[in-house]
Parts: sequence; C-alpha cells; structure tokens
Amino acid sequence: MGISAFRQLVLIGFFLAASPSVAQEKSALKPGFAFPPDRSVRILVFRPDVKVGSQSAGGVVTPNAEWTASARAHLSAALASVSPVGSANIVFLPELEGEGAALLADYRVLFRSVADTVLQHRLFKGNRLPTKKTGFEYSLGSGIAKLGQIGGGDFGLFVFTNDAFGSAGRKMLQAFAIGFAGVGVSSGQHAGYAGLVDLMTGDLVWMNADFKMGGDVREADGAIKRALQLLEGLPVAARQEAK
Amino acid sequence: MAGRSLRRACVLLLAATASAVASAEPGSAGAPTIAAVRPVGSVEEGLWSEFEDYERELSASKLLIRDEGLHSYLRKILCRTVGAERCAAVRLYIVRNPQFNASMAPNGVMVVHTGLLLRMRDEAELATVLGHEFGHFELRHALGRHKSERNTMSWAAWLTVASSGSGGDLALFPLLMAGHFRFSRDQEREADLAGFEHLARAGYNAGSAANVWEKARAEGDAKATALGVRNQEDRFHGPMSSHPMNLERMSYLKDAATKHGAGAAFRGEAEFRSAVAPLMPMLIGDQIKLNDFGGSEYLLKSLAVDGWSGVLLAARGELYRLRARPGDIDAAARYFRDATLQPDCPAEAWRGLGLSLARLGDPKGANAALGEYLKRQPEAADRKMLEAMMGGS
Repeated sequence: MGISAFRQLVLIGFFLAASPSVAQEKSALKPGFAFPPDRSVRILVFRPDVKVGSQSAGGVVTPNAEWTASARAHLSAALASVSPVGSANIVFLPELEGEGAALLADYRVLFRSVADTVLQHRLFKGNRLPTKKTGFEYSLGSGIAKLGQIGGGDFGLFVFTNDAFGSAGRKMLQAFAIGFAGVGVSSGQHAGYAGLVDLMTGDLVWMNADFKMGGDVREADGAIKRALQLLEGLPVAARQEAK
Repeated sequence: MAGRSLRRACVLLLAATASAVASAEPGSAGAPTIAAVRPVGSVEEGLWSEFEDYERELSASKLLIRDEGLHSYLRKILCRTVGAERCAAVRLYIVRNPQFNASMAPNGVMVVHTGLLLRMRDEAELATVLGHEFGHFELRHALGRHKSERNTMSWAAWLTVASSGSGGDLALFPLLMAGHFRFSRDQEREADLAGFEHLARAGYNAGSAANVWEKARAEGDAKATALGVRNQEDRFHGPMSSHPMNLERMSYLKDAATKHGAGAAFRGEAEFRSAVAPLMPMLIGDQIKLNDFGGSEYLLKSLAVDGWSGVLLAARGELYRLRARPGDIDAAARYFRDATLQPDCPAEAWRGLGLSLARLGDPKGANAALGEYLKRQPEAADRKMLEAMMGGS
C-alpha cells in the first residue's frame, strides 16, 4: 500500500466514518405486516447487545465496563417500561444453557448478518440490490420457532447499541480542527438498531437503525429516550404509545 | 513564511501536549499469576468486559470441540508449562478452525484452533504455543497494544489536522503505523521468549520451540511450491508486519535452546498422538477442504512418517480427487484402493474410489465401490445422489 492510500485511509477514518448517514432511511417494515388484532402478542426480548466506550482523539474506542453494564441494565428496564406492545407482553429471554444456548448463539449471529445486509442494502437507497429494490423480504428461517417455544414469545426483538463518547482529547481535536484547519471532526458515535422477527416464520418484519442516536444510555432517562428511538416505526396498531 | 513556521511549531507543541494528556492514565502493575486475577484500571476493565461478551458467545458456539479427554489433556500441558497455580487463571477453548493459530484474550480466554493440533507432533511443541499465548496474558499485552493503538491514532489525528491547517504535507501516518507494528512484533518476541522460559523450566524439550517455526516454514514452502509462487510468509513483509518472520522466530528460539543446553528433554510424542487420535479424521478432513494442495500434502506426509494408514491414504486420495489435474484422478483411485486394504479404512475411501472410477470411465468398478460405501455407511447423507449415479450408469 502506498503513502497516498494510507493518507486516504486516515482521512476517511477521521472525517467521514462517523457520519455515514447520507441517504439512509431509518426504518423498514414488511409490506402488509400488522400484529394480529384478535389476540395479544408476546414479544421476546433477547439480551441487548450493548457496547459503551470512550473515543480517543484518534478515534480509537476504549470499551468502558461500568458504562456498558449500566447501559445494558437501563436499556432493558427502558424496553420494558416503554412497552412496545403493552407491558404485560414483554418477555425477557432467560439465560439458556446447553443446546438452547447454542441455538440462541446461532440465531444471534444469523440475525447480525441479516441485519448488516439490511443496513447496507435496504436502508440505503443507492445501495439496493436489484432484487431488493422494493418490499422487505428477509428471513432467518422457520427453525427459529424453537427459540420462540423455549422463550415463550410470538415475536423476537433484537436490540443493538454501540456508543462511544468523545474523550477530552477528541473534543480538543474537534475544536482545534475547526478553528485552525477549518475541518469538521465528529466527536462521539452513537449507533443503534433494532429488529423484530416473527418467531413462527423467521421473517424479519421490521427494522430500525440510526447512526446518530440520542439519549445517554448510561442514564435511566437517556436509556428511555434511546429505547423510544430504537422502537420508532414499530407498527402502531398494536403498539401502546409510551408515556 | 515566518508566520506559517510559527504556526506549525505551535501545532506540533499542542499536539505533543494533547497526546501526552490523552495517554496519561492509571498504570497497571503485577502479573496475573493467580486464579483470582482481576483487571487493573478502567482501560483493562473495559477490555475485559468486551471479552466477557466474546466468551459468552464463544462458549455457546457450535464450533467448540467439547471432548472432555482432549480438554483435560490440553489443560494438563498448560498447567505443567506455566505452573499449576497460574494456569487456573486461564479458560481454554478448542475451536474447530483448520488454520494454524491460537489466541489469548486479556481476560484469560485462550483459544486453540484444531489446525494447531493437526500441526503439532508432540507435547513439547504444543506447550511452546500454549506458553507463548500465556506469555501474552501474563505480560498484559492486550492492554499495551490497545494503548499503543490509541496513542498512534491520536498522534496521527493531531498531525493530520495540523498539517492540513498549515498547508503542509506531513505524511507521518505510515511512520506512526510502522511504530505501532514494531511494538506488536516486540510483543510477539517477548511472548515467544516468555513461553520458552516456561517450556524449559517445565522440563520439556527446549529444541521443540524452534521446531514449531521450522515446520511452519516448510509447510509454507510446500504450499508456495504447489502454487508456483515464492513463500511469502518467509520474506520480510516490511514495517507493517504484526509478527516477526517465521525464520526469525525459529532462529532466536534455536539460540535460546542452545543457551539453555541439554537438560530434561521430555517430548511426549506418544501421549500427544493418542490424545489427538480420536479427532484425527476430522482434523485431516477439514485440512483437505482448505484447497491448499501443497500444504495438505506436506502435512499428510509428515503424519505418515511411520507408514500410511487407511485414514491418511483416503485423505490423500481425496486431495488428488478434488484437485483433479491430469493424472490426479488415477493417483486418487490408487490411494483409495490402497486405503481399502488397510485395517483402519474409513468408509469414505470406498466413496472416493467409486467417484474416481466413474470419472475414469469404469462404471462397473464405480458401482461396486459405491455399493460397498453405502453398505458400510447406510445413513450416508449423499445416498440418494449416489444411488441415482449408480442407476444411471
């Protein structure tokens, strides 16, 4: 790799990577999807995938154990209190062991791969694959029904957040960059996405993603704000509006 | 002009101060010598928490080899190598991955690839690698690496902003990255030598450490020859290499063994072989599927020093059958047929023989061999396909 390639890399790293949401559609819903009106549905919430750290001047993220732990706790509590489909119907999947744990691990990884595809090829208009121009056809396969039976849910909710708060060094760099060089440097990154999967068919029915989310997940109030943002666009019919 | 130089000087001064401030944080002392080792400082706590999530997923993975016997054998080697008290801090995972590798996480998660087991020939060689990984752990290399990465990128950020602001062209990023990789290579050498100390103190054959890299070179050569290229792994990749070259590792470990002199020289060949034997067919099968003809052929030959078993012959046949260059199918049929004459002949040898004979235009021989395969493997996943082939020929 030549020097110019390295310079390009570093420039991309510092100035662009943190603001990729150029033509992003935040959420997508499977056409025609609605929660069954005749019965209440139970939503199985998988352990939220949460990362919180601090971003150094050069953009390297140092994970923070305390922030991550409290964010995970606050976010779980917030998801329950925000109650996407009525508070009684939120079920948190307990810790699984043995085969159940292996099954869950498989589907977590599968969901992540499918979600990446949706992020890359569905939520960005210019990037859409020829066969995915319209509609919302993604599925994890009906094998996921086993997880629904284990956890006792009709739908599964996956939640991911990745936060890195700009350190003092990053903020100094930001101020200096704009004042001295006239370049914009972002500070902090707050990305998150959530997806709802039909636990009978395995179909991904809804997904919502945002690379610039609000709400400080380290605090209870901030986590509620974040949870509301994550669930934005979830079908309204069956959804109770949060306080 | 003078104004610009002054500006530039200010920039550098500011950058230096900022980086110094950014890197100041609680240092960590001590080494994880006991089972109850905990992270020191917020950075290490953060790294541990990240790897706790990694371990959570890893421990539920389908790719884990959960064989109790193999696990306790590997743990026994680790404990003998690094000491009974210290090894308690490590949680060992064997992952089904045919690549030659092992890794160590800062929180004590040690991952051993099955590809490593295929390449080691005795306990002392395996102890070399386990000792190396433990070296990373006890020397807290993950923390050091993270700090180096952070400082490197901070410098790069400050200098890039500063240079674009002063209209100059400070192309320092490659230099900074080179510094980071030099740091990484130093860590690898440090872990190699720490591992060597453990190996020698535990009474293992000190020369085995260099053997690991000598054979890695030979395998790389065999792989490259089959591809008609030069062995890239044995050439200096330049300042951006994360590890020292195999040649270099081999040399300084040889020197260390010479300095250590002859002492207790336990190799544990028979012990190693019998512990890994139950997994061997799987290890070999995974290697054959890598589409690395030269490397696989080298490994098969090195496993066959005491003669070609049915398993090895069948694997060799499959290797040739899959490459399918002119003459390869004939060779494959020969190896498969030889395999069927061995007492430990796997059922797959009959399948391979049948498919090879079909390709060679011998439908009668093919049907007989495939029939034998289906007789020996009634639950074969490809039964229907093979039956269709047999009926159609």
